[in-house]
Amino acid sequence: MKVKRSVLASSLFALAFVSSARADGDAAAGATVFAQCAACHAVGAGAQNSVGPVLNGVVGRPAGTYPSYRYSSAMRRSGLTWDEGTLKEYLKGPEKLLPGTKMVFPGLANDADVSNVIAYLKQQKAE
Amino acid sequence: MATKLKPVDIAIVGLGWAGGILAKELASTGLKIVAFERGGPRATNPDFMAPQVHDELRYSRRHELIQNLRKETLTFRNDPSQRALPMRQLGSFLPGEGVGGAGTHWSGLHWRWTEWEHKMYSGTVAKYGKSIIPADMNLQDWPIDYHELEPYYDTFEKVCGTSGKAGNLRGTKIDGGNIFEAPRANEFPNPPLTQSHNMVLFEKAARNLGYHPFPVPASNASRAYVNPDGVTLGQCHYCGFCTAFGCEANAKASPHFTVIPLAYKNPNFEARTNSYVMKVNLDSKRKRAVSVTYLDAGGREFEQPADLVILAAYVFGNVHLMLHSKIGKPYDFQRNTGVVGRNYAYQSMGGVGALFPKDTYFNPFMGSGALGTWIDDFNSDNPDFAKLGFIGGGGISSGSNSGAPIGRRPTPPGSPRWGKGWKKAVVETYHRMTSVGNQGSVMSYRQNYLDLDPTYTDSFGRPMLRLTFDWQENEFRQMEFARGICATIAKEMGAEQVLSRRDRGRYSIVPYQTTHNTGGTVFGDDPRTSALNKYLQSWDVSNVFVVGSSAFPQNAGRNPTGPVGALAYRLADTLKNQYLKRPERLVSV
Repeated sequence: MKVKRSVLASSLFALAFVSSARADGDAAAGATVFAQCAACHAVGAGAQNSVGPVLNGVVGRPAGTYPSYRYSSAMRRSGLTWDEGTLKEYLKGPEKLLPGTKMVFPGLANDADVSNVIAYLKQQKAE
Repeated sequence: MATKLKPVDIAIVGLGWAGGILAKELASTGLKIVAFERGGPRATNPDFMAPQVHDELRYSRRHELIQNLRKETLTFRNDPSQRALPMRQLGSFLPGEGVGGAGTHWSGLHWRWTEWEHKMYSGTVAKYGKSIIPADMNLQDWPIDYHELEPYYDTFEKVCGTSGKAGNLRGTKIDGGNIFEAPRANEFPNPPLTQSHNMVLFEKAARNLGYHPFPVPASNASRAYVNPDGVTLGQCHYCGFCTAFGCEANAKASPHFTVIPLAYKNPNFEARTNSYVMKVNLDSKRKRAVSVTYLDAGGREFEQPADLVILAAYVFGNVHLMLHSKIGKPYDFQRNTGVVGRNYAYQSMGGVGALFPKDTYFNPFMGSGALGTWIDDFNSDNPDFAKLGFIGGGGISSGSNSGAPIGRRPTPPGSPRWGKGWKKAVVETYHRMTSVGNQGSVMSYRQNYLDLDPTYTDSFGRPMLRLTFDWQENEFRQMEFARGICATIAKEMGAEQVLSRRDRGRYSIVPYQTTHNTGGTVFGDDPRTSALNKYLQSWDVSNVFVVGSSAFPQNAGRNPTGPVGALAYRLADTLKNQYLKRPERLVSV
């Protein structure tokens, strides 16, 4: 238990650090990157939970809170809020930030792809 | 007493690839369609979500996605002189159960069969004469050739997002693809998967030996892909949990997230899960099917009237329903007459183990169901049958499919079989052991067949299906020849030790080998040797169609799912363009 808490604390510290970085992504390019997410996540009008939760309004949302989606306990207990900083770290390596997440994705290797897909997600407003 | 339900137009038995494709494709007819599935509903979320889906004990050992033998099983014997006994544990093969069928737990090897593999009889006779065929071998052609199926092969690859490299594009041979494949109109929809270390070594060794290696066509998507139906497949993560598992990434094409959800969108379609179809009921003249009888999850009996019945279950389910419903003449092995149960075939899995020097790391925990490099140089009709003394061939390959902790614990011969010494041997061997495998064709024989068991009944009171099967001389020769080639390649790859077992034992139903069973309701041009005509329509009961690998007259040295999907797409076209316009016999006798 002790170990877990210290891991979480250090990752939160790292998050606070990256949060200050600015992200000027290209939403149009992000739409192409999102093709890699679309097997599991839906956005836009009429989007429904599928393998992963709906991502409308994800930027600014507390993690693990989209209605009717059964999140992993790791996600529910993360205490994270999805902002540019946390999303950036998560999208680079979901399992690294949140061991136990259901999101099985190797991560985006390219920083520009990450910024662009976040810019695209920002456009997907909550219903 | 069965409760009689309101009639529907079409009843589909089994909701795997074949049933799913038909359910989706027939939506445009506007007809009322009901599909029956003996297992439960399945969806990626929640059934196949990570991390729980990587539970090897649950799926690979306890077989959660496989047929429940406590409800129905088959009996088995090696030859007609023996008394068959019920198969009480899963072993040699694993028929799927639940929405998606075996399509949820397949590996993803997605082949087109070669031209010869659709005309094994005439192709063999043309080259070698009739005398090469052993007297007990019931060698038969498909009633349709490769070219007629090509567009359907193409459709099915696009739906699955198959990853591969063409070797014969409209007649032009392409190095790096399978130059022995039949001509294809289009390249694969996705590029090949990334090679593992043993595949790189295999490719190099095969080339050094003058062979033609190529990536196995894999319905494990090498990149994110949107199929022509608008369904998105995720990119394969090489997690190594494909065979026996559902895919959490929707990267392994499966019916439960591709064709079946599209069928659900049709308001005239209904899937009844946990529903066991017992029997197809015929009219008094036994020329027409009038309904199917099924049991729901609570064991209540229903009769569902339907104008058209499509059997799209696993091989054993299709044959069992035909025999139990008395559709078509049962096969009589003594006289070699009758058709239902005739031409059952299987597949041989052999080859060699290859132990490499201590600093070799194959990283077997990374893999994908169909990740492999293959040669067809000794498959199909490429071997010289006359010189080698067998008909058929085998695909030879090396791949990385699963390094799962319970299943994969290789040790070199002579290692301790238990305790500390065994553990040490597993640790030292895990990373440096690979294999070069042979997947051999199996011909059909008079003495290998399916019929109803005279003694045992299933939990519903029906006579069980009885399987009579053994390896024959032709297959032993193929296996032995291929084992030699596998050993040569393994040595060329740099193996320190090649582990080979010479074995001419009888077929055993106990260890897992392969779920590539074929035949029993063969399609053909002659009603004396086939249960179905070229349109997969019963010769005897014209409103019953049967689809699946139960229609294959023999088995090839490669996986059956490609032609199963292609046949299902073709059947959908047959029904829409011909049968439903004039519901009668499509071929006159």
